[in-house]
Amino acid sequence: MSAPSAQSLGAAPRSGARLARLAGGKLVNAVVVLLGAATTAFVAQASLPGDRATVILNIRAGQAIRRTAAELAQINAEYGLNHPLIVQYFDYIRGLVTGNLGVSYQQYRPVAQIIAEQMGPTIVLSLTAIALSWVIMILWVTLTAGRSARVSALGSVVDTTAAGLPQYWLGIILLLVFALGLGWFPVISGNSIAGLLLPALTLAIPLAGFMGQATRAEFENSLEQPFVISARMRGMGDFEVRLRHVLRHSILPAVTLSGWGLGATLSGAVVVETVFSRSGIGQVLVTAVNSQDLPVVTGIVILIATLYVVANVLVDIAYVLIDPRLKAQ
Amino acid sequence: MTSLLTHNGILSPRRVTAVPLGLIASVATVVLFAIAVASPGLIATHGPFALHLQESLHAPSLTYWFGTDESGRDLYSRVVYGTSQSLLIGLGATGVSLSLAVLLGSIAALSNRFAAGVVNRVIEVLFSFPTLLLALLLVAILGPSILTQIFAVGIGTAPGYARIIRGQILSAKNSGYVEAAISLGHSRPRILRQHIIPNALRPLVAIIALSVGQSIVWASSLSFLGLGVAPPSPEWGALLDSGRAYITQAWWLTVIPGLVIVALALAATTLGKYIQKALERGER
Amino acid sequence: MPKKTSALLPTLALALGAALALTGCGAGTAAPAGNAAATKVLGGTIQYAHQQEPSCVFGGWIEQAYLSYQVLDNLVSLDSNHKVVPWLADSWSTSADGLTWRFTLKKGVTFTDGTPVDAAAVAYNFDYWLKGGNSTAQVWLAGYYKSAQAVDSQTLQITLSAPYPRLADTLTQGYFGIQSQHALTTRTAAQNCEAPIGSGAFIVKKWNRGQNILLTRNTNYASAPANAKHSGAPYVNAIDWKFVPDATTRAAALKSGQVDAIYDVPSIEWSTLKSGGFQLDRYVTPGRPQQLTFNLSRAPFNDENVRKAFAYSLDRKAIVQTIGRGVIPFEGNGGVSRTTPGYSTAAAGAYTSDPAKAEALLDAAGWTGRDKDGYRTKGGTTLEVVLPYGAGSIINADGAAILQGIQEQAKGVGFKVRLVPVPQSELFAGAYAKPTEKDLSVGYWTAVTSGILYVNWKQSTAAAPNYNNAAFVNQPELEKIILAANSESDVAKQNALYEQAQQYIADHALAIGVYDRLSTLAVSPRLKGVWQENAQGGPVFDDAYFVK
Repeated sequence: MSAPSAQSLGAAPRSGARLARLAGGKLVNAVVVLLGAATTAFVAQASLPGDRATVILNIRAGQAIRRTAAELAQINAEYGLNHPLIVQYFDYIRGLVTGNLGVSYQQYRPVAQIIAEQMGPTIVLSLTAIALSWVIMILWVTLTAGRSARVSALGSVVDTTAAGLPQYWLGIILLLVFALGLGWFPVISGNSIAGLLLPALTLAIPLAGFMGQATRAEFENSLEQPFVISARMRGMGDFEVRLRHVLRHSILPAVTLSGWGLGATLSGAVVVETVFSRSGIGQVLVTAVNSQDLPVVTGIVILIATLYVVANVLVDIAYVLIDPRLKAQ
Repeated sequence: MTSLLTHNGILSPRRVTAVPLGLIASVATVVLFAIAVASPGLIATHGPFALHLQESLHAPSLTYWFGTDESGRDLYSRVVYGTSQSLLIGLGATGVSLSLAVLLGSIAALSNRFAAGVVNRVIEVLFSFPTLLLALLLVAILGPSILTQIFAVGIGTAPGYARIIRGQILSAKNSGYVEAAISLGHSRPRILRQHIIPNALRPLVAIIALSVGQSIVWASSLSFLGLGVAPPSPEWGALLDSGRAYITQAWWLTVIPGLVIVALALAATTLGKYIQKALERGER
Repeated sequence: MPKKTSALLPTLALALGAALALTGCGAGTAAPAGNAAATKVLGGTIQYAHQQEPSCVFGGWIEQAYLSYQVLDNLVSLDSNHKVVPWLADSWSTSADGLTWRFTLKKGVTFTDGTPVDAAAVAYNFDYWLKGGNSTAQVWLAGYYKSAQAVDSQTLQITLSAPYPRLADTLTQGYFGIQSQHALTTRTAAQNCEAPIGSGAFIVKKWNRGQNILLTRNTNYASAPANAKHSGAPYVNAIDWKFVPDATTRAAALKSGQVDAIYDVPSIEWSTLKSGGFQLDRYVTPGRPQQLTFNLSRAPFNDENVRKAFAYSLDRKAIVQTIGRGVIPFEGNGGVSRTTPGYSTAAAGAYTSDPAKAEALLDAAGWTGRDKDGYRTKGGTTLEVVLPYGAGSIINADGAAILQGIQEQAKGVGFKVRLVPVPQSELFAGAYAKPTEKDLSVGYWTAVTSGILYVNWKQSTAAAPNYNNAAFVNQPELEKIILAANSESDVAKQNALYEQAQQYIADHALAIGVYDRLSTLAVSPRLKGVWQENAQGGPVFDDAYFVK
């Protein structure tokens, strides 16, 4: 979302010891953030309206009625819901540390197993979307940035429009045109490769718009830099100049955005998997939130937070690797 | 989606790709929406809830500009009447989001080390939740209603803005003129009042415009997941969601409300950019 | 308001316009049209797209009954004439006092874990349901069931505490599927939830949550119900039972040939599928229809005249016909649906649209004032009623549109109906279940007999609360009629009593019908022999086969 803070960049590692200290600091930071995320998720779910034992019973029966005390007592005992919240919380944290995310109320199965089954398709979707968004963004920016006023303006308007497109709506339109209308893609994506493109495009187009906005400004700036002029004077073709010199100097903001993009695509997956009937963590999450399946919801939340934290550490590293100025420090 | 505001993004566009046409269009769009809020009866052609059972699912025509829905209600009039609710959500969420963001951001940037550390952690924790997930959790707790939607979207988008505001204050704090003011012996409140607050808050105007558009998009996502405003309310997200069931036979029910949302979000974003540029020019 | 969108969008609008033009008249059908020389092909996997995914295969919800029907056999089945026919039980008899039932089981049937289907195992199932193993089976039998014993290996005896002549009919529903006692007692709850062991035509192979359940053929299947089209193992190798919540997606997937059959066909797609050569099946589920029950425990619906005024204010038929497009039938009866034995046509016709009468009744009831929005008032209170509904679960998209029509029609005479869509999480958490939270309850309950009236109208007492009674005020007179009907062994007399009960409901405007709940199926022309079972309308794939 925003670039790594000034401190972390300014403190580019100069020695191994310093690097280790920095990594250690980041690790502690990550653990604190994750514990906070876990706690937030627990508190949020624990304060859901209604009695959880009633929910479990009603989900199983497909009825929406009050339950008798005898019915509730049985479920409360089975799931330990009669323990004080604080006990439930510590049980929960202890479980997290040992990799035990609890058992789903709905499915009677370990949450870790449920997540492991559904994580693959979502990760594939997210990564495909990010890769696609890079391709789209680079092509579009290279083609349109710093051209005539008209072309540049068009490029910029398209960036802004793409960035503002609601994912669910874009998804529906793509589904309507390419799957329902033209029949080029399956209507139910399932896990198939053919079914991956439309959902990935749905996530990639807005992301490409965001990255395009950030890259375009840098790109147009770089086009006027001395090294570009000198390259041109050496007789390098326009396209080559753009790809080899200008691009390298203007993609830093887009790299940062990719870390954010992982979070955005994972969260977009919630919507996109619904639209395209694709299996994955997003569908599981919506179902679980809808049915107050506490262990599943918290498990997924922790997972997404973890991925997000890891992605941003990776982005910090990529930042240092790409930016020659930082390396030189 | 607040990444519009990255440090290299539109908050510091170094090159102006000005299209006056865009500005005019944006202003015109915003004015039209303003009329729809202030006096929907003026531009609507039918009642928003009036049933025309004999004319269900009519394609856009001269009588029904945007077509009709399954009960023969006029989509155009529903969109017009839905404007106030949709904008209310957008503005309300922006208000919640920016209040929170200013509070968290300024504590993180200005208070003592301990408090700043705690608040920084809070921001990072909230930030590690994708916006939609945070909003989903809140809706699940509070139950769907306009108020919930406002708070869910507001809180969901706040961490991103909090980071921006923290950055703005920090850079103002570390800037040359503040150092100069300190060396001149100006008091802390005076420096805050004269230098830091104005500089840190200037981009807020642009952020507000951007945020309204984004909030409407997020809020309609919640409606899309069935967690938004109650039908038969003509709130745009709700319109879009209920139209989805008829998408193969009546594309207009899904496509048109979506276009309206995009148009508004785009107009707000464009306006925000212009305001931003105008402010920067003013600085020079 | 811009006609289409701002000038900023020319590119997008252009692209969209082109795309929509391409889409034009919608998807073509990839399925072969009427093929006279179709030859039967053995094997293959049926791709079936269903709507809702339950938490377990077996349970008290109709979504579970649909699934468990594929895997479990019942004691008896219902044929298309609503006659009870043999399934696991070859024959059955009742004692003269109606308190003892004997079922003689088929010989040589085994569960898919190899244990025999004997009387002891079946008796164990009865006790298992009553202990909470199936919440719906529990509410049906509680109050009548006493015990089940194995007289010998093939003879099961059920002892009742009061006569219940419709016991066999009741046992045809999916909630009464028989599971292996060995599996129930030796396996974990998770295993029995995910893959119950029965003697049915299919076996649960794998459940990919959120996606599909793979059911494979029971090669030893030898216990098809008497109304099946063939005995022996299924023709196909497997069913890929997919969960696709979006109705439009299901219909499109069927048209494009991605799936072979779909459940819950949206009414808007009905005619296009029909002209595309698809087999369409519509089953009006017996039991309680989608109806509105009035909350009698508080104003304004504690006043019978106000309830009647509400009923007269609506043109339920017009709204159901428009939204339902001739597929969803209007149902005037607030007690049971038209396919339920003992249905009363008179009760169904009790209230037709008559706004003038509604106005007069409201005037008489003292609701004579008007507020600034034109709603009626009495002593400064607006005539507002709260109508919560389970959005996306109990009430689908068509149903929600119908409720919105009702809201608008009632507004015509001055009712302010507040519609509250309740998401599944809150609904199942018990939101809007209390009498202080709502004035109207909407919902259905599938059943094979009018005995459902007992479930819905049984008195609620401190000792035995009945939270299924949405009127929230006990109707002792009504209950007396229903109880008499429940235990009446003469079918004609029993039906007359049930009709009397429905008439009572109509006369006092306790509940009014809206539309009949449907189970619908659409099947590709390349798949033949799919039918809907007659207890709840679920798909039967045992007899299905592909053609070339």
